[in-house]
Amino acid sequence: MTLPRVLFVTGKGGTGKSTVAAALAIALSRRRPTTLADLDRRLSAAAALGAMPRDSTAVKVTDTLDAVALTPRAELEAFIERIVPIHAISRRMLRSRTFGYVTAALPGLEAFLLLERLRIMAGDAALEDRYLVIDAPASGSAVELLSVSSGVKGIAPAGTLNRLADSIDGFLADATRFGAVITTTTEDLAVREALETAATIRARLGIVTVAAIVNCVPDLLFDTSELAAMSPLAGHARLAVRRNAAHEQAALIAPRFAEAGVMTISLPMMFTPGIGTAELTKLGRVLHARLLDQ
Amino acid sequence: MKPFDLRSQKLVICLGPGGVGKTTISAALAVRAAMLGGAVDVMTVDPAPRLLDALGLEEDSSEPVAVALDGIRHSRRGGASSRARLRALRLDPKRTFDSIIARYALSDAERDTILENRIYRNLSGALAGVGDYMAMEKLLELAANPATDLIVLDTPPATEAIDFLDAPRRLLELLNSRAVSLLGAPGGLFRSQLRMVDLAARAVLAAFDRATGLNLLSDVQSFVRSFDGMYEGFSARAARAQDKLRAADTAIVIVTTAESSRIAQAREFIGALEGAGLRVAAMVVNRVLAELPDAAELTSARIAPSLKKKLKRNLADYAALKTREEVSLGALRDSLPAGALLMVAPDLGREPRTIADLAEIGRSISDA
Repeated sequence: MTLPRVLFVTGKGGTGKSTVAAALAIALSRRRPTTLADLDRRLSAAAALGAMPRDSTAVKVTDTLDAVALTPRAELEAFIERIVPIHAISRRMLRSRTFGYVTAALPGLEAFLLLERLRIMAGDAALEDRYLVIDAPASGSAVELLSVSSGVKGIAPAGTLNRLADSIDGFLADATRFGAVITTTTEDLAVREALETAATIRARLGIVTVAAIVNCVPDLLFDTSELAAMSPLAGHARLAVRRNAAHEQAALIAPRFAEAGVMTISLPMMFTPGIGTAELTKLGRVLHARLLDQ
Repeated sequence: MKPFDLRSQKLVICLGPGGVGKTTISAALAVRAAMLGGAVDVMTVDPAPRLLDALGLEEDSSEPVAVALDGIRHSRRGGASSRARLRALRLDPKRTFDSIIARYALSDAERDTILENRIYRNLSGALAGVGDYMAMEKLLELAANPATDLIVLDTPPATEAIDFLDAPRRLLELLNSRAVSLLGAPGGLFRSQLRMVDLAARAVLAAFDRATGLNLLSDVQSFVRSFDGMYEGFSARAARAQDKLRAADTAIVIVTTAESSRIAQAREFIGALEGAGLRVAAMVVNRVLAELPDAAELTSARIAPSLKKKLKRNLADYAALKTREEVSLGALRDSLPAGALLMVAPDLGREPRTIADLAEIGRSISDA
């Protein structure tokens, strides 16, 4: 399967978005050079890879993998510095609290500039034949972020900004350049939110969801007769039922995504005291097999 | 104080990162307080469909709706108090904002100007902290009802705890005279009061408008200017909201899960709140794994060896997850502010669908 240059990883909070983004970056970097762009202020995906990028300067993780940090604030600063060429003034402006009010009164500007940055990065990635994995905000904010250029077009019917918004929308709707990866757990609420996100970005922005990742799926350990045989051990039986139920729940999820035209990939629950490089590599292997070995 | 004594509070504010079950915990605490005999209101933000059902709320229940407590045994300590009741409502920031505009606008014409302003219509939702501020507004409205003992407030998911509590101040700053004079004053007026950076900011906006074809500046100006007359009203309300947050009978509860990234976020929340002089009353760690069964039970159990082996593996698997959880909880315990309670809410193993589920969670929230 041909993957888009940019994979935008989002999902409900608590579904393991950053872990999946990190594992995906590891997986893709086995095929081609890959950059992980972390949009999360805490940089949890980059941290999982052991990298601590401070800004959009790439920090090397392996020979084929690096990480950058992107923030709306930095994009705004770059923008202001571009249009106010006198450094001393732009610096003072950015420090001014009043200017903070102004940007607050122009909501969406920062997000818009962030999307524009992603579009430019995607162009560079195509030239250098690399993948770009984005650890995006949780789904609610991610949909807002992705929709911001449509909003801009709504209020700027003509002009530079409108043209810029057009090119961003074209970028998002181009399946060779941009695709979403949506994470979920086996919980119904997370599944619903993932389905809703996929449907919304498809309908509103023409964005293709490359895959839904069902995270933390335990392997099936017990059959029905075994479950019956353990009933005297109430506590153990409860734990066994819990594990089996999560596994069976996962099996019911794939058809729901298939109906929406989205492929699902189940990632195994890591029954380990922590998630480190070994676990990420394991998860990465599953992703590699499903996304690239076809 | 065991469990967390809801009866001595008038307001409980649940704060926390997204996806930790904040709404569930808010609702569970509210059900618990009603079971203890209180007259309780719970205000939720964006509840899950099933929780909406459990509370009997409709999509647009922006006014309190009575929640039937049938079938839930009232706690003996509270007795079958005739006061006991539970009402739930859902925050609708846009509608609340509209009603505030209607309340404070000096004239119908002014109200309509604002409601029809392009910025207000398209972008008011994204304006600094409007959603958060609206939660505060609704809160003051609910708190004015003397028949209510306790309000439990669920908050929008925040990357930073302080965003929510700081909302009134930030909105006021946006509307204060300096910002108004910066954006609202027609060219020439008040120019002497503006600092160079303000002028530069305005020049940038103007240049931005010219370059982009947005013509946004005039709309932003008229939007900000139209708030000029309402500033007094807003200011008084915001001051009352700030007092309410710091009142002795207000408890700030931070909700989190035991995942290390959420715990790290929760610790940042605590730091930010303390920095702002706000006290955290309790932390609730949600969806904590229940107590694991006894391993010794397996050794003596008379079951097939193959099954025994599998059960041992299953236990070891969940024990590893429990270890992961305990490491996180330990880190949290070490960074807990003085006087704050650390509590855990066990994972039901299913999503709460009924009031009885919420009552079960409410009952089982206990000290860790």
